[in-house]
Amino acid sequence: MSSCHHNHHNMDINGCDAKISDTHLPKKPKLSPTLISDTELESEFSHHVQNIARINNGSFGCCPKSVMSAQQKWQLEFLKQPDDFYFNRLKEGILQSRLVIKDLVNADHVDEISIVDNATTAAAIVLQSVAWDFIQGKFNKGDAAVMLHYAYGAVKKSVEAYVTRAGGYVIEVELPFPVNSVSEIISEFRRALERGKVNGRKVRLAVIDHVTSMPSVVIPVKELVKICREEGVDKVFVDAAHGIGCVDVDMKEIGADFYTSNLHKWFFCPPAAAFLYCRKSSEIDDLHHPVVSHEYGNGLAIESAWIGTRDYSAQLVVPKVLEFVNRFEGGIEGIKKRNHKAVVEMGEMLAKAWGTHLGSPPEMCSSMIMVGLPASLGISSDSVALKLRTHLRNNFSVEVPIYYRAPGDGVVNPVTGYARISHQVYNKPDDYYRFRDAINQLVNDKFTCELLS
Amino acid sequence: MDTIGADTKISNTYLPEKPELSPTLISDTELLSEFSHHVQNIARINNGSFGCCPKSVISAQQKWQLEFLKQPDDFYFNRLKDEILKSRLVIRDLVNADHVDEISIVDNATTATAIVLQSVAWEFLQGKFNKGDAVVMLQYAYGAVKKSLEAYVTRAGGYVIEAWFLFPVNSDGEIVSEFRKALERGKANGRKVRLAMIDHVTSIPSVPIPVKELIKICREEGVDKVFVDGAQGIGCVDVDMKEIGADFYTGTLNKWVFCPPGAAFLYCRKSNEIDDLHHPVVSHEYGNGLAIESAWIGTRDYSAQLVVPQALEFVNRFEGGIEGIKKRNHKAVVEMGEMLAKAWGTHLGSPPEMCSSMIMVGLPAILGISSDSIALKLRTHLRNNFSVEVPIYYRVPGDGVVNPVTGYARISHHVYNKPDEYYKFRDAVNQLVNDKFTCALLAW
Repeated sequence: MSSCHHNHHNMDINGCDAKISDTHLPKKPKLSPTLISDTELESEFSHHVQNIARINNGSFGCCPKSVMSAQQKWQLEFLKQPDDFYFNRLKEGILQSRLVIKDLVNADHVDEISIVDNATTAAAIVLQSVAWDFIQGKFNKGDAAVMLHYAYGAVKKSVEAYVTRAGGYVIEVELPFPVNSVSEIISEFRRALERGKVNGRKVRLAVIDHVTSMPSVVIPVKELVKICREEGVDKVFVDAAHGIGCVDVDMKEIGADFYTSNLHKWFFCPPAAAFLYCRKSSEIDDLHHPVVSHEYGNGLAIESAWIGTRDYSAQLVVPKVLEFVNRFEGGIEGIKKRNHKAVVEMGEMLAKAWGTHLGSPPEMCSSMIMVGLPASLGISSDSVALKLRTHLRNNFSVEVPIYYRAPGDGVVNPVTGYARISHQVYNKPDDYYRFRDAINQLVNDKFTCELLS
Repeated sequence: MDTIGADTKISNTYLPEKPELSPTLISDTELLSEFSHHVQNIARINNGSFGCCPKSVISAQQKWQLEFLKQPDDFYFNRLKDEILKSRLVIRDLVNADHVDEISIVDNATTATAIVLQSVAWEFLQGKFNKGDAVVMLQYAYGAVKKSLEAYVTRAGGYVIEAWFLFPVNSDGEIVSEFRKALERGKANGRKVRLAMIDHVTSIPSVPIPVKELIKICREEGVDKVFVDGAQGIGCVDVDMKEIGADFYTGTLNKWVFCPPGAAFLYCRKSNEIDDLHHPVVSHEYGNGLAIESAWIGTRDYSAQLVVPQALEFVNRFEGGIEGIKKRNHKAVVEMGEMLAKAWGTHLGSPPEMCSSMIMVGLPAILGISSDSIALKLRTHLRNNFSVEVPIYYRVPGDGVVNPVTGYARISHHVYNKPDEYYKFRDAVNQLVNDKFTCALLAW
């Protein structure tokens, strides 16, 4: 176990990657001539509480000091002379951010890019529009919306609040976990679409995660979108809360109608900024921001750029964030590749140390991976998993989310708990060794989660 | 114009029990320092649009932002909910609500409006209201609110009625009688009036509305629910939920109560019926009550909502707290408004008792303000050429009026303002008149 400790070259943040895909590199700004040094990197994240194993970038992301500083400048600009800011600067600033995002995600037109607070807001925008389509009779009552069983909890609530409430019929795609190959996901998805079309129903919307949250698995979205087109699904909405910086995000490649990704999780924006991509098509999508203000009817991107007086600074710093990203070798592509490599390596190290397994093959994970926890811990429910998480935070200074997986029938000594570890530029091998050792200690102490109830 | 003037009468009905008035009142030097980030040498007489935020509150906000970034999981699980609750408790006391359950914190009045109107839309769509039932609003309702009514009420089959009243306005009576007429129109043909939306103080032209009286009339006339838009509320007029008696009331905290942008509240009176209000951005807490839903609408920056207690501490460094600030602002803005009207030979848009911390002042007719867009161009001209920041309202002249006043400036007064700013505005307009300037010159 300790031999990993000195293999720093595997975890070198500024490592050289031979293959850098340059399809999606934005044209401006250029890669910085001076790459960020280790010292600078430490300083950028020196505000993170020290001495904890912060291996949960997936939940709330991170924001470097230079971006925080840029954000505070924007906040102050507004407060210094808000009228002037509102009339002369805000719209242009938001447009600059949208242009950066358009290039990053390979969209055709900047009109297709709206900036919103987070993926939760983007989901509300799309789903409210679907609700109106049901209510105004464009869709028939009982027509279906398909989503993954592992869709994010908040999205499921949004589907309930807008689709079910408006008369739509919601179908969940059951996915196996652990998962062994993309074909398992594809076949389940096909089955769900069949259910959606039973009794003359139409499938009006498919909501597909690009990377599920818990348990975290990369979904073959491009293939699923193709199947949706073949099977006559009206629209596809890809929820890539874990998107830019985590997986390849290319709008033309993926081919979805709607696509949302957070920018504060894996793209270093302050909380919170996200984009909603809406593919230009011959039909008019009647999407509106639910907080209606002066710009109602002027297009979603313009509506979203003014939803009343509030702090837009997190959305205005996007160009500065890109400058930060480009201080790393290979920019966002380089960061993504190195995170993936590191998290797989650490995941395999943990699985080996605990005698468990990974939740998915390495090629089906992103900058996060699921690692089985020893069965002897006795993780027996969602609430127990949360209690164990709290125990790890309070007693071992480890921050990591735990997923409870109901065991299959008749399995002896099942693994019922999986940790979702993340890797981002500020992480170090020691973070994962600390987690390894914490679990080993719990096992050695014959700890079971019953003790937490 | 002494900002820290002595007020003998301080109404203490609404003073929150905590925090106590600061034993050391803020000094003039400290006050200057607190707002030293404001661009100097401009007449910033438009607090009504975007408000202001003192340095000590900015600093407190940045601490909150950092707390989250330091260890976000811990912040989310162990601190956020409690701190939002603290802010809600402060607001509850400030507005004299019964239960903290009645107070939800949202970004702004625009969001609060979307919440109430989306709920009204569902009631139309799910047949609880009949198609064609009415919603009554004021003609001078805020533009964004009118769009929200279109997006939710009209789209769902409701019929929107505007209550018109003349501006300049001379008495509450004029507003009351027009409102009654609008309610009658609302009830014509067996319609029911499902919602009345009433501004506490209209935005532009800015006039305080006798909401308590109008709500009484609504109850007499069988209006289902009343929603008061108090965007210009706390710190501008008296805001007491029990006194006013509305079903829903929204107020901002960044305009007159020193919070950073992005803090407002929506009050929903507890009643026997269950109001099915939801935040339109649906997240994990859906179904747990509006206040709880609004306290988590996905990952974002809640710091503006977390500094409410610190903003109140700042308020209480002034003699008389929020009541004292309000009274002195009112006194000062009336004095400055009368000074300007006299200097220009015009008039005020409403009597002094019908204004808040803002007042409308007629601009000389000779300027020839002839449309909304011209008024906006004049505003830009004043900003760029005279360093005066003030919104201008265009009022369509009545028929046959000779040399009508068609433009009114809405001046505001808040704790950072000084007489010189209003003199600067006076002199700017006088210069335009002397130079025989007309707005036709701006119509490029």
